[in-house]
Amino acid sequence: MSTTTPAGNLAASGVVPGFPIAGRLVARGSTALAILGALVIWLALLGPFAVLIQHLSFHSIRAALGPPGALDPLWASLGASAIALGSMVLLGTPLAYLLARGRLPLARIVELGILLPLMMPPLVIGLLLIFLIGSEGTLGNLLADIHLTGVNTFFALIVAEFYEAAPFYVLGAHAAFASVDPRIEQDASLLGDRPLQAFRRITLPLAAPGLATGLATAWARAMGAFGAVVIIAYYPRGLPNQIFIAFQEFSLPGALPFALLLVVAALPLPVLAYLWSARTRSRVAGTKAP
Amino acid sequence: MNTAPARLLEVDLEVERRQVTVKAGFTLEAGERLAIFGTSGAGKTTILESIAGFVRLSSGNVRVDGKLVAGKVKGEAALEARHRQVALVRQPTTLFPHLTVEQNVAYGVRRSAARSRIAELLERLGLSALARARGAALSGGQRQRVALGRALASPFRVLLLDEPLSAVDIAAREALRLLTIETSLEHDAAGILVTHDLAEAQAFSDQLAIIDEGRLLQLGGAHEVVLSPLTRRVAELVGYGGFIPAPSAANMSFAIHPDRVVLGTLPERGVVLTGTVLATRPFGPRYECTVREHSGAQFAIHVDQPPATGAECALTALDPPVVAP
Repeated sequence: MSTTTPAGNLAASGVVPGFPIAGRLVARGSTALAILGALVIWLALLGPFAVLIQHLSFHSIRAALGPPGALDPLWASLGASAIALGSMVLLGTPLAYLLARGRLPLARIVELGILLPLMMPPLVIGLLLIFLIGSEGTLGNLLADIHLTGVNTFFALIVAEFYEAAPFYVLGAHAAFASVDPRIEQDASLLGDRPLQAFRRITLPLAAPGLATGLATAWARAMGAFGAVVIIAYYPRGLPNQIFIAFQEFSLPGALPFALLLVVAALPLPVLAYLWSARTRSRVAGTKAP
Repeated sequence: MNTAPARLLEVDLEVERRQVTVKAGFTLEAGERLAIFGTSGAGKTTILESIAGFVRLSSGNVRVDGKLVAGKVKGEAALEARHRQVALVRQPTTLFPHLTVEQNVAYGVRRSAARSRIAELLERLGLSALARARGAALSGGQRQRVALGRALASPFRVLLLDEPLSAVDIAAREALRLLTIETSLEHDAAGILVTHDLAEAQAFSDQLAIIDEGRLLQLGGAHEVVLSPLTRRVAELVGYGGFIPAPSAANMSFAIHPDRVVLGTLPERGVVLTGTVLATRPFGPRYECTVREHSGAQFAIHVDQPPATGAECALTALDPPVVAP
C-alpha cells in the first residue's frame, strides 16, 4: 500500500516512508497530546471559575457589594482603564503603524522600549514610577505645578495601568499592521486616496481583527493591573487592589464577590473582540463561498 | 527651462537591485503602447513599479505629462500618488480583500457619472455574476480580471500592466485585450505591458522593448524587433534557436527561427542550408524537427511534412537576420 502512495500524501496520512507503523504511532501520539493540551487549558481556565461560582452565594455578594460606596473600586477601574486605553490608541496606533512600515528611525530601540515594561516585574515598575512622577522626581514637580500628583491619585492609577497594558496593544497593533501588504496601500493611493483615506478605507479594516485582539488584551491587562498599581496608586482603590485588601481583611468570602465583579467587568469585551475578529478574519480569508 | 513640449511619459531611470542594476530610458506619446519583454528576473516589474513612483531610483527620473513622478530633482517635489494619473496592475494581483468585486472595480471612481459605467465594465470583464464576491473566493484568472477592471475604471493617463492576463484562459484573452486597448485609447493614454509571452506582447503593443539582466537591449516596432534582432541575445530571447556563421562579415551570424525555415532549395527567398534530421515530434498541428546543420549548429524547425529521421535535407532560412555576437 504505502509503496504506491504518492509522496505528497505521505505527510497527510502520517506515514513516514520506511517506518509506516512508527509514523502512524507518532501521528496518533501527537494528536492525543494536542487534545490533552487543549483539555488541560480549558480545565485550568474553567476549574477555578467553577469554584468561584460555587463558593459564592447571593447573600455574600449582596453583603460585599451592597453597602454604599462598595462599587467605587469598579468605577475607578473602569474609568482609569478606559482613559488608559484611549491614550494607548491615540499614541500607540501611529507608533505601531510606522514601526510596521519601517518608517521610524531607531526602530529597534523603540521596540525595546515597548518590550521592556513587559519584561520588568510590575512591582519594580511601580517603584520606578514613584521616582518619575512622584514628588521626588522632576516630572513629578512639573506635574505638581499643574496640580497633578503622581502618587495615590486617579492619575497615578491611569499611569500604572497604562504602563502594564500599553505594550500589549502596541505589539498587537504592530503585528496587525505588518500583516497588511503595503502594496495594496500604494494601489489605493494610485486610485486617488489621500494617505489618511487609504488608511481608513484599506489599512484599518484589514488590520481591524488584529487591532481588536490587541485592544482587548490591553483592556484585560489594564483592568487587572495590580503590581505597579499597588505601589503607586493604593488609592483610589481599583478592583484588583480592592480584592487584595478584602482578602487580607476578610479572607476568601470577602474577596470572591469582588473577584467575580472584576471578571464580569473585564472579560466580555475581550471575548467579544476575539469572536468578532475570528469571524472577520475567516470572512476576508474567504473560507466560505459568497 | 525645458521648452520642448512634454511627452506624455518620459522614463530615464536606474535602480539598484540586489542581483542587477536596472536601467531603462524611453518616451511614449499619448495613444502609444509599449510591451517590455524579457525573462523573469530581468527587471521588468522593477521598471513598472518605478514608473508608478514606488521605487527609489538611484538616478534619473520619470515624468508624466511633464510632471515629476519618480526621482529627485532639485526644487521640484514629486507628485503625490493620487495625482499621478497612473493605473497599475500587479503580478501577482493585489486586490482589496475585504471589498467585493464591484467595490474593487469602482474603487478609483470618484464621479457619480462614471459609476453608472461600472456595471457595463463588469459585464465586459465577465464578472457580473461575481459582483458581490470577495477577492479570496476568486480564481487566479478572475482575480486578474478584477485587477484589470479596477485599473481601467480609474481616470488614468498611463496604464501599467504586469502580466495582466497570465492566468486568464486563452479563449477570454482576446476580448480582454481589446477592452484594454479600447479603454486606453479612450483615455488618450500611454500603455506599458510587461510580459514574458512574446505573442501577448505583440498582440497588445505597437512597440517592443527587449530587456535582459536589467538592460534594455533593443527597442523598436513590435514586428521589426522580432524580424531584425541586432544581437544574438535579442535573437535568442525572441525565439531564434540556431546561429550559423555569416560568410559576409566576421563574427556575425545568421539567426535561424524555427518558423522562418522552409524545406527545399529556394535561394531567391533566403539562405540555403543543408543538414541532418536528428529527431521529430508533434508541435501543435505541425511538427518540430531537430536539425544539425553542416557547420555543426543544431536547431529546431517547424514543418508540415517532416523528413525521415536521419535523412539529409536542404532547407531555406527565409531572409535570416544577421546578428552581432
